[in-house]
Formats: sequence, C-alpha cells, structure tokens
Amino acid sequence: MAKERIQQRRDWRAESAAFFLNHRAVCLLTATLLAACAVLGFLRPPMAKIRAQISPRFVRESGSRYSEAKVNLLVIGIARGRNVKTGDTETYVGFAGKIFQADLNRELDLKAKAEKAEKERGETVRAPLTKTERREYQRQKLLENVADIVLWIPPLLDGSKITVSLTILSTLTGAFLSIFMALGKISKFKPLSKLCSAYIFVFRGSPLLMQLFFIYFGLPLINPNLNIQDRFTAAYIAFTLNSIAYMAEIIRAAIQSIDKGQFEASKALGLTYGQTMRLVVIPQSIRRLIPPVANEFIMVLKDASLVSIISLSDLAKVTQTISTTSGKVLVYIPSIAIYLIITALFTFIFNRLEKRFSIYQ
Amino acid sequence: MSLIRTEDVCKFFGTLEVLKNVSISVEPGEVVCVIGPSGAGKSTLLRSLNQLESIYSGKIFIEDELFLHRDKGVTVGRTAPQAHKRLLLEMGMVFQSFNLFPHRTVLENLLLAPVNVQNIPKAEAEADARQLLETVGLSAKADAYPARLSGGQQQRVAIARALAMHPKIMLFDEPTSALDPELVGEVLGVMRSLAESGMTMLVVTHEMAFARDVADRVLFMYEGTVLEDSPPAEIFTNPKNERTQQFLQRILAH
Repeated sequence: MAKERIQQRRDWRAESAAFFLNHRAVCLLTATLLAACAVLGFLRPPMAKIRAQISPRFVRESGSRYSEAKVNLLVIGIARGRNVKTGDTETYVGFAGKIFQADLNRELDLKAKAEKAEKERGETVRAPLTKTERREYQRQKLLENVADIVLWIPPLLDGSKITVSLTILSTLTGAFLSIFMALGKISKFKPLSKLCSAYIFVFRGSPLLMQLFFIYFGLPLINPNLNIQDRFTAAYIAFTLNSIAYMAEIIRAAIQSIDKGQFEASKALGLTYGQTMRLVVIPQSIRRLIPPVANEFIMVLKDASLVSIISLSDLAKVTQTISTTSGKVLVYIPSIAIYLIITALFTFIFNRLEKRFSIYQ
Repeated sequence: MSLIRTEDVCKFFGTLEVLKNVSISVEPGEVVCVIGPSGAGKSTLLRSLNQLESIYSGKIFIEDELFLHRDKGVTVGRTAPQAHKRLLLEMGMVFQSFNLFPHRTVLENLLLAPVNVQNIPKAEAEADARQLLETVGLSAKADAYPARLSGGQQQRVAIARALAMHPKIMLFDEPTSALDPELVGEVLGVMRSLAESGMTMLVVTHEMAFARDVADRVLFMYEGTVLEDSPPAEIFTNPKNERTQQFLQRILAH
C-alpha cells in the first residue's frame, strides 16, 4: 500500500515536471506576470490615500447627491466620487506609487466633440485643439477608459458568480440525473423508454427561455403551491431539466457506441445488467462523453444569459445594464473577456479530465 | 454423465435456418473440436449454449440438468434462476475478438467477475488470478492495460479471465481467427496445456492441426447440421461424408 502511494506521488511529480517542460513559455510568462503583480501591488498607494484625493469641496457641493465607488484590484486602486444629478465625477487612479486624476476635463471634452462634429459635417473647424491640448485629451480619455473598466469589474464579477454557479450546479445535477434518463431511454421496458423519449422530446424541442418562463411564472398559476420564490432556484430547476434532456442523448450515444462484445463478455461472465453498466460500460463511455459534455457546458454558460427574463442579474444582464445606464459600449470588452476566461478555464479542466480518462489507450 | 448435451436445437436468423435439429454431447474431460465452412452455424451453436443467442426450439442440458427447453420461440422449461446462473457460470467463453475490458488492467480483468459475481474476497481472488496469469505465461503483464498487449497476449488473458470463474467446460469461439499468423502458436500452446490438464473443451476452430492433435472428437458442421462426429484419426484420414471430404481437401490442400 505504502509502496503504491509512493509510486503515485512519483507519478504525480513526473507528471507536473512534464507539464512545466511542455508549457515552458506559458509557465515563464505566468511567473513573470505574477512577479510584476507582486512588485506593482507593493508599490500601489493605499486605498485611503487615493480616496483622500477627492476634493472635500466636490463632496460638499454634491451634498445628498454624492455617491462614491472604490475598487481595489491589488495592482491598481481607484476611487470615484460622483454627483448623481450633474453627472460630474472626480476619479483618482493609484498605480505604481503614483496617483493620477482620471477625469475628462469638461471644457476640453466639449471642444473635442465640437471639433469632431464640424469635421464630420465637412465645415472648417473654428477652434481646433492645440497640439498639447490634443495630447492631454487623449491621455485623459485613456485614463478615463481604464478607470471605467476597473470600476466595472466588481459588478461584472458579481454577475458572473450567478452565471458560473448556475452553469456548474445545473450541469452537474443534469449530468448525474441524465445517466438514469439515458438508461431509461435504452431500456427494453417500453413504457419507461417511451416516457424518457417524451421527456427528451419536450425539453430538447422547446426553447429554454420558455421553459424558464413557464417554471417561474406559469407553474404558480396552475397551482399556487408550485410558486418558486427564489429566482435562482427557479433558474436552477429549469436549466437542470433542460440539460438532463441534452446530456441523456449524449450519454445514450456514448453507451451505444460501446462494442457489443463488451456486453457479451460481461454476460458470459455472469454479470447482471446493472453490473455490466456500472463496471464495464459507463466507465468506458466517460472518455467519449467528455468532449460533448464540455460543449454542452459552454452552451449552458452562454444560455445562462436567459435568466434576465426573471430579473436575475447574470454577467450578460449586468453588462447590458451598465451599457445602457452609462452609455458606454466599452463595457462589452471586459465582459467578453470574463466569458472567455471562464470558458478557457473550463476547457482546460475538461482537457485534463479527458487525458486522465484515456490512460488505458 | 455428459457435461453438455443438446437435443434438436433449432435457430433462425430471420427466415434462414442456421441450426437444424443439432444434437451433440460433450463428456467430462473431453476436447471436442467443431469444424466446417463459414456460415455452417458453428459459432451460433456455441453462443446458443451460454445464452448469447436464444434458440428457437430444442433442449440444452448442462450436467444432465435441463438448462433450457424452448419450443417455437417460447421458453417452456428452464432451471430456477439461481441454478440457472450457476450452470451458466460452468461454461467459460473465449471470443474471437478477445473482448477484454479495455479500461481495466489485466489483473483487474481477471478479478472483475470473481469479486462481483461470485463474491470471492479480493485478496483470495487476486492470488488465484496471479496463479492463472502464471499458467498463461503473462505474470509480468498483470498491471498493463489490454491495449498495450499483442493480440496473442490479449487472447491468453481472455482465457485466464474465463478460467478465473473456474468453469467446468471452456467454450472457444474461433480463438485464433483474429490473430496474426505468428501469434497463433502461443494461444494454441495455452489451449493444448489446458487440454492436457484435463479441462473439458468445446472448440470452434479452423486450426486443423490442433483438432487433429488435441481433440478427442471432431464435429463437422455444414449448413446448420452436424454431418460427422468421429475421432480425429478417422475424420482426417477417412471422412465418411462427401461434404467433409470436399471441405478437408480444400483446407488441407494449402
């Protein structure tokens, strides 16, 4: 036993060593980035100091209409005070030992906009920006964008919490329950098989949006006891029911792709149907299941945006809200980046799983 | 007492009658080879014995107990479920395509059925399995996955896997047909020593030399019937039936 454990530890070591060797560039880059982050994080001015830059006069003048946002991203810290009525802001960015103001100068902004409008209309520009003004304008614009993006990150992450937890929970539950649905569908007991086929037909054949709508709004109308108070629970139920249907088909296809000889050998050795499935067929199907299940997972991740119809704020909904309230379309860039990071992470996990389950080949 | 006996077994694939009133018997300790052209029903007969194919009509006796009696596609008599399973497990089966479990190591392949079907403690089953691997000459491969083994080695593992259930009779369904010619010898070698150890064997094969040297009796099947049932010395030197003569001429001419 002990020997086996040592062997396993050695395998693990060899495996990770091989991983570092094969991904040398990625590993070096990650290490460099981490080191840079540590240095920059150490150099960043404390949040209290950044916050203190917002002028007391601005706060006083804004009075009850004053609101404040602070974001601490380790390497970068931002504090923004806002007068909700006028829309004026005072924003300070702390980065690498310095604190910058990151607001567009209102006059400069108006001047730049006027210039742009005149150019578009083909008129002669009455008051062009000077060279220094233009450089200053570009610098401010950039800083403002950076500040915006950083300030959006916390609400976006809040939204992605819902997206990710809904996806993971519903696909995990769905994957587990769909095994039974698949076995039901290939069962020789006709009523059961028909019932499972009908379930799959209904939940795969109708839009998830409508299923979600029906479960949250429709069920209470049929019977008040079926009222699901919690929106997340309602979404979880709808997504699970839907992914059972999809994954049951994936599992059925994987089971039926297993060589007939495996069933025959099991039968000749006296294994029951249940044992054959549990010990022989399903373990072999898992490797074939992983790629389509990963696909399904990513589909669900994106379909999670449908929960906005029952007023749940997932990543897509938060993005949309920010974009409409602030009028800044730029928010779609960090939002898409977050989606891609989540997808990349899970693709990596699924790839590792697939390797793990194909050791015997 | 015969280990296996069939009476008037019939079997159809659609409208094609693949077994026509086949009656055979295998005595304990006997090695019986079944030869004949492809499509003669040799494999179907073997697979009908351990229920991989369901017969249309006829009786199958295992150790003189009525294992299965079917008439016009309906089961009219069979042993009680417990006894039925016990009798089924007295037949070990070796397939043409090995059918090892690819996701389990060689040793785990041998342990799966004894541990899960016969509820033998794992340690005991493992000792037994290692012993069996020794007899088929594959002790060194106990922890390898089947995909890492050659065809001949895989088939030897498959034989050991069937033996791990300690059957009273071994059914071989063309065990060397899927092998490269140079790997046939090692599998036949294992089968020879198995026969020498006194195992009862029913072998469907195209290996005439094996049938001649090892078999106590040779059955010649043609279009679903057993045309000849004689000792090898007789069938190979002096076949009575015209079909047998033709078949042997064609096979032995090479």
